[in-house]
Amino acid sequence: MSRGLRDHLPTLLVAALAAAFGVALLQVTGILAAVIAADDVAGSSGTVAIMLNVTAFVFIAIAVYVAAVTTANTVATVVAGRTRLIALLRLIGSSARSQRAAIAREGLVVGALGAVAGALLGTGVAWGVARVGVAAGVIPEFDYGYLQPVLLVPMVAVVFTTWLAAWAGSRRVLAVRPAQALGNSAESSTEEVARRVGRTATGVTLIVLGVLALAGGVAVGLLYPMGVLIGVVGGILSFTGIVLIADRIMPPVLRAIGRLLGSSPSTRLAAENAVRHPERATRMTIGLVVGVTLVTMFAVTMETYRQAMTEVLSDQEMLEAAIGPVIDGTVAVFSGLVGFSAVIAAVGLVNTLSISVLQRTREIGLLRALGFDRTQVRTMILAEAAALTVAATLTGLVLGTVYGWLGAQSMLGSLTGEPRFVVPVVPWLVIAIVVVAAVAVTLAASVTPARRAVRISPVVALAVD
Amino acid sequence: MQNTPSDLGLIARAVGLGKRYGDGANQVVALDDVSIGLRRGEFTAIMGPSGSGKSTLMHLMAGLDTPTTGQVWLGDTDITDLSDSALTVLRRRRIGFVFQSFNLVPTLDVKGNVLLPFELDGRRPTLDEQVWIDELIDTLGLRPRLGHRPHELSGGQQQRVAIARALATRPDLVFADEPTGNLDSRTGREVLGLLAATSARSGQAIAMVTHDPIAASHADRILVLADGRIVRDLGRSTPEQISAYMLQMEAAA
Repeated sequence: MSRGLRDHLPTLLVAALAAAFGVALLQVTGILAAVIAADDVAGSSGTVAIMLNVTAFVFIAIAVYVAAVTTANTVATVVAGRTRLIALLRLIGSSARSQRAAIAREGLVVGALGAVAGALLGTGVAWGVARVGVAAGVIPEFDYGYLQPVLLVPMVAVVFTTWLAAWAGSRRVLAVRPAQALGNSAESSTEEVARRVGRTATGVTLIVLGVLALAGGVAVGLLYPMGVLIGVVGGILSFTGIVLIADRIMPPVLRAIGRLLGSSPSTRLAAENAVRHPERATRMTIGLVVGVTLVTMFAVTMETYRQAMTEVLSDQEMLEAAIGPVIDGTVAVFSGLVGFSAVIAAVGLVNTLSISVLQRTREIGLLRALGFDRTQVRTMILAEAAALTVAATLTGLVLGTVYGWLGAQSMLGSLTGEPRFVVPVVPWLVIAIVVVAAVAVTLAASVTPARRAVRISPVVALAVD
Repeated sequence: MQNTPSDLGLIARAVGLGKRYGDGANQVVALDDVSIGLRRGEFTAIMGPSGSGKSTLMHLMAGLDTPTTGQVWLGDTDITDLSDSALTVLRRRRIGFVFQSFNLVPTLDVKGNVLLPFELDGRRPTLDEQVWIDELIDTLGLRPRLGHRPHELSGGQQQRVAIARALATRPDLVFADEPTGNLDSRTGREVLGLLAATSARSGQAIAMVTHDPIAASHADRILVLADGRIVRDLGRSTPEQISAYMLQMEAAA
């Protein structure tokens, strides 16, 4: 069980982060609502509270979704590493179903532990922020109980999705044959790429519908600003479709990025390693893609909005000066909230890369025996991490810019009273932050596995286990 | 003054080689004062029961591990105290390896695996080397498989690719660790025949660790280890002779 526990540390971390985020967000929302209610003159505090809650739940849903994808991937990677053990248990007479159920049960336990730890952490953070706020005089003293039933929603969501993700990620257990316990079968890199025709069809349908709605939004937006609402529906539909068929999108992107890494043996192997398990690579990157897309989209829309407002209000400097900070603040808060999902995805990427490097001990030993020096091994791991983060970031930046522009176009196309074409404005600062974050993730993801990898002695390649 | 190893016609030489693990009461002596010389162009089999130190001897002579005592030469180079990076370059250029299993990089095709040692060195094969590689590929029957990945090949085919890779750079010495351990006996015989014939033609020395008397019967010379020491240095022998000797050794133990 000690091994099982160690295998699940990354999942515990991800579950705790997601739960902490959800609980902290709801606590802060609750505190804000309490503060507003105490100061209620307009009698509209109920509506504000509901809106705050709805917004909070959107962000929580994104974080929990990303956490679930990440966990499914971690579990799948762990299962791949346990193949021999699972095969041995199968050989002795354990059924594949009971093996899988055991892994799902581990997921349930880890999810519950993570949810509780995260709830405590999140409440602590919210309490700390509120106390600092009160002490600094930013918010008045308020009356708020920290034990809110609504907090159970993100907690239960985390437990449930971790359990579900463990179940989904352990699908491969069913494919382990008892005979794999015998003989030292070389790795068969033919990870059964199940042709999920149904999923692809659904994804493509959603994308087509979404693109139609986006086009409709832009067209309507030339006459009425309400066009953006049609656009939002189109955005949600098409982006869901893209996430569904990500296993068809990310591997080619990774291959293209891999070619750009160069043609030295280390970078060529790194490029191959990044796509050797296409499903795994897709799930490693999709969380980051979601995060980067949302941050970029929002920043592009807001920046374009600011530009348009500046043009329209060029003779009213007072208003212009007032709008600036509001836009900056909104972009900052939104980026922070969505960015947290990207952090969870990054944690998952770091863990998955670490585990997969550990599983490649023998192969790295072989490379060392054949004449790979330590620098080349380190370069190989770094380049693999870079291929994954660059592919995710680039995809996110492109999707985000397109969505951001479509949003701005449908919202602002009728701004001057006559149909017009809105030129998208790229917020370079946000892009720069995203790129710096991606570089940081790359380094973080590669430092531990690279250190482990260079320590591998070539002798392990000769050892017969 | 001692003679340089190459003066003696030796491609590799070990003097007073010892390897110990742990210390005090827990000390394990894997290899104890072994001195041998491997001759240019000779096929040497290293035999011995499990734990006799045959793998340790090979690791030390191939620069994969460092000895506790003694010295190792490859050609005229004393490799005993070389740095890790110098040893890496040495393995890349002057030593070839054939392992029992997991010989090939799974993400590279056959051609990529064979050319890997050159790429690691940051160069392309010269015209002369390319002719040699083409010859190897044809002799080993790999021409139709060049674009295949290792998992698409049978065990015997994988070992042939490993042999092609090990011989491609025309190294001084090829180390083979139970190269036929995972193959059926017919394929094993074929692979050994190819290994012996190809290396004989190019004048490469081979050191093969094995406990299979049939595999050892392909060798020109058989060194037998027991408890970390060389106990016998035999010439070419039949499988029956080798088996009889090994059984006799077991009985004496």
